[in-house]
Amino acid sequence: MQYKDYYKIMGLSRTATQDEVKRAYRKLARKYHPDVSKEKDAEAKFKELGEAYEVLKDPQKRAAYDRLGSNWKAGEDFRPPPNWDEGFEFKGGGFTGGDAGVFSDFFEQLFGRAGFHPSGHEQRGFHMRGQDSHAKIYINLEDSIHGATRSISLSTPQMDAQGYVQVKHRSLNIKIPKGIKPGQHIRLAGQGDPGSGGGKSGDLLLEIAFNGHPLYRFSDTDIYLDLPVAPWEAALGAKIKVPTPEGNVDLKIPPNSRQGTKLRLKGRGLPSKTPGDFFVVLQIALPPANTDRAKAVYQKMQQELDFNPRPSLGVKSQ
Amino acid sequence: MNSHDLLPVHTGTVIEDDSLTLEQLCHACGVHTDWVISLVEESIIEPEGEEIQVWRFSGDCLVRVRSALRLHRDLGVNLAGIALALDLMEEVENLRRQLKIRGLD
Repeated sequence: MQYKDYYKIMGLSRTATQDEVKRAYRKLARKYHPDVSKEKDAEAKFKELGEAYEVLKDPQKRAAYDRLGSNWKAGEDFRPPPNWDEGFEFKGGGFTGGDAGVFSDFFEQLFGRAGFHPSGHEQRGFHMRGQDSHAKIYINLEDSIHGATRSISLSTPQMDAQGYVQVKHRSLNIKIPKGIKPGQHIRLAGQGDPGSGGGKSGDLLLEIAFNGHPLYRFSDTDIYLDLPVAPWEAALGAKIKVPTPEGNVDLKIPPNSRQGTKLRLKGRGLPSKTPGDFFVVLQIALPPANTDRAKAVYQKMQQELDFNPRPSLGVKSQ
Repeated sequence: MNSHDLLPVHTGTVIEDDSLTLEQLCHACGVHTDWVISLVEESIIEPEGEEIQVWRFSGDCLVRVRSALRLHRDLGVNLAGIALALDLMEEVENLRRQLKIRGLD
């Protein structure tokens, strides 16, 4: 088990006041909140922060933690000294906030796997339907285009008969319906938390997200592809093979196409009631002038074409 | 033989294809009805239907209620603050999407 330096996590000195602890938590919670933050591993940082705050905001727990001494280094192998918690009253006491299931071994060793107090309506009756549980799954574009069966693994904190939280791992095979979009949810009835006292299990709600794709970008049901073209293909028009998720398509590039021109293949986006479109964005690629012949061609264009690429800048091209 | 062949395949329903009642939404998010009603009153989420008995919520509402819950629980944000934060977060999300379409992310 590794020692956790809660003061370091919160960027505080060991002499910080309770007010400073609170202010530090507020500030860091905004910074790392998974809904707001796009920082890498924001979620892990946020959980770590929640655990640190759980200890430091509570004078009892903080005093017990302080008693371990300040000579430990974060990550160091740690065993609590015997009777370290003598005289403190929190053992077995409930957490006041946070998800008990997500705290570290270090925390559990010190403060116990205190009983999990489910919030809200679960406490009311004996025959309660289980909570719906949520998870986010990442699928490939192709899974949505064609429909697919995917195996997913889930880790769910669950309460056992004694009220302890155990993290259960399980895998499920699920059908990915054709045409599902990022941000939509699949509901699997009865796959959520088990009910209590013979109540029905809750549902499992899976939020869909797409893995990044090497070729395509997505927006709602539309798919975008950058298509590199040669200057003469854009200028003179051309027929080009374009990869779409449903196979190659011959695309006609109209003459005098410009850089960034968007060509639409109607209905070739994600399948849905109103199917999305497939957009090809032209990216004009310049041949390098790295041989005498290539240079000669560019020089010929310079002489033959009366072309000012900067008419709007109001300066004459030389 | 891989695990696909051994385990049953679960087929779910896509929430966005129909919609959620007030009760289903509350249960899905683990929150009290009163709280969801106060979100509607603050127009943080907007159900279809006039009367509370016929309210129907989209899958987007589900996402917003869960974000609202986390903002409230983790950061102590009040309803007006939640409304503001969610709108700004949505705007950032739209701008990010625009960047992505342009290949600039």
